[in-house]
Amino acid sequence: MSILELKNVVKSYGKKTVLRDINLSVQPGDFAVIFGLPVSGKSVLVRLIAGLERPDAGQVILRGADMTQIAPGDRNLGYVPQSFALYPHFSVYDNIAYPLSLIRAPKSDIEQAVQRVAQLLKIEQFLDRKPEQLSGGQKQRVAIARGLVKKTDIFLLDDPLVGLDFKLRERLIDDLKQSQEQLKVTFIYTTSEAIEATQLARTIAVMEGGEIVETGTPEALYDKPMRAETMRNVGFPQSNFLSGELRRNGDGLRIKTALFESDVSYYSAQASMSVDKALLGNAAVGVRPEHIVIGNPTPGSLSFSAKVLLRENLGGEEIVYLDATGQSLTTVLRSADADSTQIDIDQHVTAYVRPSDVVVYVDSVYVGRLAIAE
Amino acid sequence: MIDITVQNLSKKFDDFTALKELNMTFRAGTVTCLLGPSGCGKTTLMRIIAGLETPSTGDVKFGSESVLNQSTRQRNIGMVFQYPVVYRGINVRQNIELPLLEDKSLSKTERDRRIDEVLDILEMRDAAKKEINELDNGTRQKVACAREVARQPKIILFDEPITNVDINSKLQLKRALKELFTRLKQTIIYVTHDQTEAMTLADQIALMNEGEIAQMASPRELYNKPNDAFAGFFLGNPGMNFFEGLLGAAAGNVIMLPLFSRGLALSGIAPSRDLTMGIRPEFVRLSAAPTANSVKASVTSKAIVTGGQYLVALKVGDIAFKSKTDGATGRAIGHEAWVELPLERIRLFGKDGHSPDAVLKFN
Repeated sequence: MSILELKNVVKSYGKKTVLRDINLSVQPGDFAVIFGLPVSGKSVLVRLIAGLERPDAGQVILRGADMTQIAPGDRNLGYVPQSFALYPHFSVYDNIAYPLSLIRAPKSDIEQAVQRVAQLLKIEQFLDRKPEQLSGGQKQRVAIARGLVKKTDIFLLDDPLVGLDFKLRERLIDDLKQSQEQLKVTFIYTTSEAIEATQLARTIAVMEGGEIVETGTPEALYDKPMRAETMRNVGFPQSNFLSGELRRNGDGLRIKTALFESDVSYYSAQASMSVDKALLGNAAVGVRPEHIVIGNPTPGSLSFSAKVLLRENLGGEEIVYLDATGQSLTTVLRSADADSTQIDIDQHVTAYVRPSDVVVYVDSVYVGRLAIAE
Repeated sequence: MIDITVQNLSKKFDDFTALKELNMTFRAGTVTCLLGPSGCGKTTLMRIIAGLETPSTGDVKFGSESVLNQSTRQRNIGMVFQYPVVYRGINVRQNIELPLLEDKSLSKTERDRRIDEVLDILEMRDAAKKEINELDNGTRQKVACAREVARQPKIILFDEPITNVDINSKLQLKRALKELFTRLKQTIIYVTHDQTEAMTLADQIALMNEGEIAQMASPRELYNKPNDAFAGFFLGNPGMNFFEGLLGAAAGNVIMLPLFSRGLALSGIAPSRDLTMGIRPEFVRLSAAPTANSVKASVTSKAIVTGGQYLVALKVGDIAFKSKTDGATGRAIGHEAWVELPLERIRLFGKDGHSPDAVLKFN
């Protein structure tokens, strides 16, 4: 049984629809990440689960019971909001204990619960301090601990690492993951950072424009994205997209972009129907950055020339930005390879992709991958 | 062009020591990035060089001349700040020309030559006649950079110039800076907390931590051969794996390191229990089957990270660490994996944080 189910949830503010027909089902023990770029609607969705907002239509079902009309305090959820404020005159201990003091939990229970979350978030040594004596990252840990202190089975975390520098984020990602595993609870977590989503999630729901466009494990979404939004956004750096023109070629399909032209092999009947409906024409052609290779093309690959705009050094990897006859492209090299590749800014290079790494979408829906030329 | 040197430079604010006895040289014609977390002292150091702050002790020299008694203006410094400093009501070209007009020794021809040069490098010829009000924030920052560069001061200080530019202009501005730096070879000190920015733009990085220089080296050297555990931690995503106090019983110069099934001969330093071993996740080799010097590890989690690589969390006994590996290997890894650490990728850090000249060999 799902521990959370959203059925046909709709939410508007005035004339602006922010959530359209949301259906989502979360299993107990899941680390469910709701992933979307800013203003995709994910924060509203979390507030709606928390009961801080009411849907215009649809149901919020928690632990099998319809809670749509139930007040936030009666939903028995833990909640870590996006922007947190610690009480400056309280100690760290009292800040964390606050949600339990509110419900007048016994002192010994509070003590035990505070110690447990303080240990999970590695702030045991700061419990006597005041918030002003802590660094930004430590304060964030206290806020997360306060959200996790409640004894319950569902926790909502609304982009809790936003704004932290990435070294702090790196450590908190590990600690959040471990916390969820050790507490054996369900986390529903929003973020707009792809790397955060793929590292934390057991399942990801991809949001765009107030809709959940696709759900799945990070691996499934990464390897076989069925929607263009998923391919573009799940992964770092973002995937490249070219506009293409799709047309009939005998029994099959053929795609033409500014950089290459190739047959498309398409698999599902559903995909072929959607192509018929769209009457061909405009398509979006996606390639992951790591699939664009700079160097001598291999047989059967699709090659093109490009100018190097910038090499960005991440340490372990380099992101190389290219301009291929007006198309901006991003590629990723491992540093070991980057060092041996003599590519300079403003230099003209040859790059190529394997056809099977090129994905075609029409109206954002998966059509197929390019066929290897015979 | 002249070197900029700081000698025994310290700065205290009440009981807080912001800078501790710094000695370093910023080489003429190179880009040095001051990189470090907030509070490391990088901004204080830059402000002292600019003459906006006085040191508690020590000296700042431009060439062989001490500049401590000179004002910012006398030091002839260019500065680019977090928010673009541009003059409204005049166009791009006039913005760049304004400080050049103050220098009466410059002919009109020379002024025009310098302006055209930077406009060309920034690919802004077409925008030369545009009013500042017509430009987005990122382009305004380009103009601010162009103005300081065209003036050719002794040194140009950049204080996080990209941080507040909107995300779509960041790439353009980074490219503009890289082009300016490589083509014009001016002496630049560039402050940032962003490792990617520093690694991308710098000839050398001065990595700072708690008021000290942890290490000063080229980006690749700093990344691959950190001499300080902090450099191993701070650079990279994620940073190095560290194994503390885990050196096994030593017989002579033979030691047992974690994740090795047999002894290693250590030379260059004496074996000590205080050594910390460090290795970057991408250098930890993983395979689905045993290899010559591998040990068996259990996989606790794996996740897709940059460019489709897998970040795999592993355990050998109680020892936890990570490996970053390409997608094909990462996908093939099951609940267990075989781990091998290439000896040349291992860094040994002593108690003071600095890596001694240790050499490891299979016994």
